[in-house]
Amino acid sequence: MSLLALSNLTIRYGRLTAVRNVTFTLTEGEILFITGPNGAGKSSLLRAIAGVTPPAGGRIDFAGQDITGRAPEDIARMGLSMVPEGREVFGSLTIEENLLVGTGMHAATRNWRSRAATELEAVYATFPILKDRRHSQAGLLSGGQQQMLVIGRALMTNSRLIAIDEPSLGLAPNITDQVYERLIALRAHRALTLLIVEQSSTRAQLVGGRMILMRGGEVLLDGDARAMGQSEAMQAAYFGYGEH
Amino acid sequence: MSVIRRTISTPILLTLILIAIALIAVTAGSRPFNQTVIDIFLRVILVVGLYIFIGNSGVMSFGHIGFTCLGGYAAAWLTIPPMMKQTLLPGLPDWLMNAQLPYWAGAIFAALWAALWAAMFGKILMRLSGIAASIATFAMLAMINTVYSNWESVTAATSSVVGIPIIRSIWPYLIAAIIAVIVAWLHAISRAGLALRAARDEPTAAAASGVDIPKQRLIAFTLSGVVMGMGGALFAHSIGVVTPDTFYLTLTFTTLSMLVVGGIGSLSGAVLGVVILSSLIQALRWLEAGVTIGTTTIAIPNGLQEIALGIVMILILIRRPAGIMANSELRWPRPNLDAANPQNPGEDPRPQTTQQQ
Repeated sequence: MSLLALSNLTIRYGRLTAVRNVTFTLTEGEILFITGPNGAGKSSLLRAIAGVTPPAGGRIDFAGQDITGRAPEDIARMGLSMVPEGREVFGSLTIEENLLVGTGMHAATRNWRSRAATELEAVYATFPILKDRRHSQAGLLSGGQQQMLVIGRALMTNSRLIAIDEPSLGLAPNITDQVYERLIALRAHRALTLLIVEQSSTRAQLVGGRMILMRGGEVLLDGDARAMGQSEAMQAAYFGYGEH
Repeated sequence: MSVIRRTISTPILLTLILIAIALIAVTAGSRPFNQTVIDIFLRVILVVGLYIFIGNSGVMSFGHIGFTCLGGYAAAWLTIPPMMKQTLLPGLPDWLMNAQLPYWAGAIFAALWAALWAAMFGKILMRLSGIAASIATFAMLAMINTVYSNWESVTAATSSVVGIPIIRSIWPYLIAAIIAVIVAWLHAISRAGLALRAARDEPTAAAASGVDIPKQRLIAFTLSGVVMGMGGALFAHSIGVVTPDTFYLTLTFTTLSMLVVGGIGSLSGAVLGVVILSSLIQALRWLEAGVTIGTTTIAIPNGLQEIALGIVMILILIRRPAGIMANSELRWPRPNLDAANPQNPGEDPRPQTTQQQ
């Protein structure tokens, strides 16, 4: 069943078209990498899906509902969380407090702390390092731990789909390995659907799964990441020679 | 471990500090010193009131002393004997003219009155952020001051409103200061406090997590209005006189500088900022008056007090730009953390007074 469906999505910033007529569907449990060079429109696409940037045209469906133009907090409540680029942790709050904010401060439920405890344990099971340091300030964590924390915060909403913008940005390769290892384990464990934006396709080929290659706001290739790896079309997309 | 158990050491330690100060006053038994300690407790109430809003929201407010003004005059209206009010404040409505409540009941109504206005002003102001919000709160202070300086029949305009019963015992002030600390602590660990602190650190990410920022700010603004109003009422009872300028720029900047020196983002900082700066002011006053050692009296020149105070504040802020406590709180040492932290034995991730950022 398709969890996320984009049809003819177009995003404009003023007169500049960042994303042009992008159409694809994402099945529940799938892992999809969106890769491409700078300015390909990857992050814009992600921001539109999360509701941060309203699209200029086209339609986005999530879990059978039209979510085009909805507010980000509404979309988050439906189970689609985005982890933005740049790891926005609440620096002066503790790790646990950061995660608690992720439970969604909107729902006026009683005993929210004890309800959140279950979610908290699940996140700690995925990222044990966060549990070890749960009462330290998030601002003191290393880059990799902060990345785990924002992913953990997105998990607290009990999301079905998590969209992550450049999880490897600014991280040492072995730390990136750890983050991905956790994501893959999580996907298997919770039937989580992942949409990951990365500039480089190397990671997608390493992890496997589906890959969409974008350039200049359009989808160039869509297929199995490993099969795509050595194709000429792929090189053409990055380096701009070949059929152009 | 529940959040209350984990954080309760902060209000307990602060309460113990306040009680210790009260006991020193009782032991000393001198009346001027008693008044000094009462002033410390009053400032603790006001600075903690400021912390509830400024500390958790990160929005600087120059207007909170306006709520203290509202509280002070409300206490005057409710506790001055009706005979005196008839000549001094002839414009008061009958029910207020005939009211004469005990000071504590007056203080409760004063706190609610200030909260009412904080909620109304806040509803409008809390949509603003950053410097715009700060300027708007300053405008609010000026508005309140202007109204109270001119509404002759109910506030006696700029002349003093006298006849407020004077409370000389230190205990009511101590209790009120402890209440302020507990209210601030409960708010900070509550869901509203958590949401507000998240919004202070990263507004966008907080909103994406569902935090309604104007609403959370309004809650803190109103709650701090309660504490400021209570402080204003007790302020009035400590000196027996109120004028609009009692609650204006001087008090605004004294209390704000105590909060900044203590550490804006810390409840312990709010209390310690008051205690440290007040002790310093008092010590300098004694030196100005002259200290007799043997047969010689040593006195520093008049006016040096302000200069010395300014220098000390600058030095503190050079050494600790985020204030004495920065973002951390006074806590018990927590040995149990090491047990829960086997990978980094001995590393306490949040030492007592470490400065963050």
